[in-house]
Amino acid sequence: MTTSSPSFVQRYRIALLILLALVLLPFVIGLFEGASPFEVWSNQSGISRFIQGLAIEIFILALYALSYDLIFGFTGLLSFGHSMFFAVGAYLTGIALKSFGLNLGQTFGVLMLAAVVQALLFGIVLPRVKGITFALVTLGLSSVFHIVVMSRELGDYTGADVGLQGVVIPDFISPATERLRLYFITLTILVVFYLIYRRFVDSPLGRVCKAIRENEGRAQMLGYNTFLFKLAALILASITAVIAGALHTIYQPIVSPDIAGLGFTVTALLMILIGGVGTLHGALAGAAIFRLLDFGLRRYLGESASFVNGAIYVLIVLFLPYGIVGTWQLKASLSVAHMRQGWRRLLEMVGVNVERRASRE
Amino acid sequence: MAKIPAVVRSNLTVILTLLAILALFAAAASGMSWQDFIITLLRGLAVGALTFLVASGFSLIFGLLDVLNLAHGTLFMVGAYIGWTVYVRPDTFVDILTPLALIISGFTLGDVWRLLAQRVPQASLWRRVAPWIALVSGLALFFGVMRGYPIALWNMDNYAESPVTFSFLAGQGQRVIPPSATFGDASPLPAFAGLILAGMLASLGLTLTGRSDIVRKVQITWRTFAPFIGLAAGGLILFAVNEPLTVWLFTLDTNWLFLIAVLIAVLSGAGLGALMEATLIRPLYVRPIYQLMLTLGLSAIGIEMVRAIWGRPEFTMPKPALFAGSGEGCPAESLWQALQNSCSTMLFQGGRIRVYNEIVVPLIGLIVLVAVWLVLKRTRLGMIIRAGVQDREMVEALGINVRRVFTMVFALGVGLAALGGVLAAPSIGLSNTMGESFLLNALIALAIGGLTSYPGAALGSLLVGMLQQFIIKYGQIGITLPFIGVVFKPSPPVVPASTVLLMVIILLIVPGGLLGRKE
Repeated sequence: MTTSSPSFVQRYRIALLILLALVLLPFVIGLFEGASPFEVWSNQSGISRFIQGLAIEIFILALYALSYDLIFGFTGLLSFGHSMFFAVGAYLTGIALKSFGLNLGQTFGVLMLAAVVQALLFGIVLPRVKGITFALVTLGLSSVFHIVVMSRELGDYTGADVGLQGVVIPDFISPATERLRLYFITLTILVVFYLIYRRFVDSPLGRVCKAIRENEGRAQMLGYNTFLFKLAALILASITAVIAGALHTIYQPIVSPDIAGLGFTVTALLMILIGGVGTLHGALAGAAIFRLLDFGLRRYLGESASFVNGAIYVLIVLFLPYGIVGTWQLKASLSVAHMRQGWRRLLEMVGVNVERRASRE
Repeated sequence: MAKIPAVVRSNLTVILTLLAILALFAAAASGMSWQDFIITLLRGLAVGALTFLVASGFSLIFGLLDVLNLAHGTLFMVGAYIGWTVYVRPDTFVDILTPLALIISGFTLGDVWRLLAQRVPQASLWRRVAPWIALVSGLALFFGVMRGYPIALWNMDNYAESPVTFSFLAGQGQRVIPPSATFGDASPLPAFAGLILAGMLASLGLTLTGRSDIVRKVQITWRTFAPFIGLAAGGLILFAVNEPLTVWLFTLDTNWLFLIAVLIAVLSGAGLGALMEATLIRPLYVRPIYQLMLTLGLSAIGIEMVRAIWGRPEFTMPKPALFAGSGEGCPAESLWQALQNSCSTMLFQGGRIRVYNEIVVPLIGLIVLVAVWLVLKRTRLGMIIRAGVQDREMVEALGINVRRVFTMVFALGVGLAALGGVLAAPSIGLSNTMGESFLLNALIALAIGGLTSYPGAALGSLLVGMLQQFIIKYGQIGITLPFIGVVFKPSPPVVPASTVLLMVIILLIVPGGLLGRKE
């Protein structure tokens, strides 16, 4: 008996459902408030608009978390300088649009160039240092960038410690007037990158990256030039993070220099730890939970929010050993196995010979 | 051609790097006057000593336990705040002792619970739920009792009763003795009983949550109850002598009080470290990367707790009388005279040196360096630690109880950080952010010196401290750049950048750090 592989819709039904929900989200929220979809379509202010803003922030964070998951969760490079990737994107976009008056296409070109260059910069130190030392060197590189951004000498371009502000966003993606469009653009970019990442992770290239994570020496023994694979992962992560940074500049009125600091790298680490290291949808879920948690706690608890936040991280670490998605996957596969076992035992009790049935199939 | 010794040949890169640093140092020294040089040197030593206290504990913990304790900076800060409390508000300290002793006395009964738990059948629902009920009710009882416990604290909202004011008054030598903790007419007995009960419940909960696959032989003798009775009695006696003790501490010479503050800060730091390791970090040895998240979470919690208890504004801790005088014969001509007249500053080649900041702190750093070095080299614990850093599994295989050693090392590391904090408080003051900057300094120092190397921690801290202070000094006087003759003044952001750059350069030349293990 030949078993047909499940159809596309069946296989990805949960992902497709979530996507559909996200597409409909602005309109549904609008309905709750009494606003018709047309009103939402024409970007009238209201709760829907606010939720769109929050969702855009989550999408940007998710993109950033994905990129960190690629180099940390899949390739096993612990980098403490990841915020630099994001901040370079954010600052370059702002400076290109504001100080040099480039259009979006030219800005995009500059961004791609910068993304590759900074990945190569990290690549220079790759063969020299490993493990925690790599983390410290990347921390050093990103702190230098942070300090450059904060310095008063470049204040005309970067806004020093006040932050970059006054960037004029082209009208058709301005978060003020065309927020719904920006929402869909961000969502599309996220979905596209998620698919690229899925492809990357499942490709032979991605498999070698996982092999490097598990045991670099063995991957080398098998004849792989691990440096090139790590560099490939770094470049892809850098491009993603730079685009996330560019979206950040487009959405936020002020680009704070905090996004270049160690704290923002830690944010990425927390997001993928919450979701589950080395699972792509873990990064997405982690970003959503992180942002919503932060938002909710800040709103209802005010100043003591970070205390509760910290407590929640500690609890997650103690009780959800592999992040939310990771633990859920583990439990799910276990319970499926349990269910099958129980089902088989039930059948045997009734008198059906499971082994024979299985062989007949 | 003369033969180069093998030691030199194998460490050629390191020696060349060190020579280059020395040459840079000499170049830096030649640009400033002799007096500036000495003062900058001493300041560099002071920063280096404080960094070393954080870095050495961090590196011991990382070397033996493989835990990157990112809460180390926060614990440094907590040490400073606890020391300040004992020093400026001994009454609060005395007030807290009684509840603490009672809680711990209840806690020491774990063995009794273990014996009782073995009689309850395993794997029953009751067995699974009971510990959580015990823990939660214990916590609830604790908070309920503490709400009514009259501990003399300060009032953050009222400026006259804020830590800033108390600090200022203590610096002026005016110490107002606040009324000590009393229950008024009500009987304190219910509160005491409640605290002991809360401790018992918590200990019951913790005992039951632990998997008891291994049946340990527990014998109940009078010894099992001795710590319980001792601590409970101690707590009650402390409550009885609360007032005289407070008055005695307030009238005590500030030098002795400072010593007590340092001691208490180190002890409570060590206790906190042991508690942290035993309850939170121990379950995570199998999942190393999650320790990062745990310690980050703890660090956030710690900072918020400090903000809740001591408030956000920065304040200072007055120096002990021995180093605070400015009366007759001050500033002193020599160190001996400074100590005799208890001067806060002394003259050296026309420059003023602050005795506490620039002489006492580096000296204590040096003493700790030697003391921990002796512990590592001469004692059995030190031998186990050194062996564990080399190869943990082997030490375990030799039948040494690594668990206990882990807890002790964690306590030692955090104790060192707390010592650093309480020593730093009189010289740089207390703030919510003091921990983070020192943690970053310590990380850089360790990367420079070698992550798990004890002498490396010392060398790295020294380099970091020196570099920072020399850059700050040159920021004031300006560097005359060679050949161009332009005066360049490094701006404040260059200070952290310089140490980070030094770290990156050194790591690229010697990936394992200067004195680290070779891969």
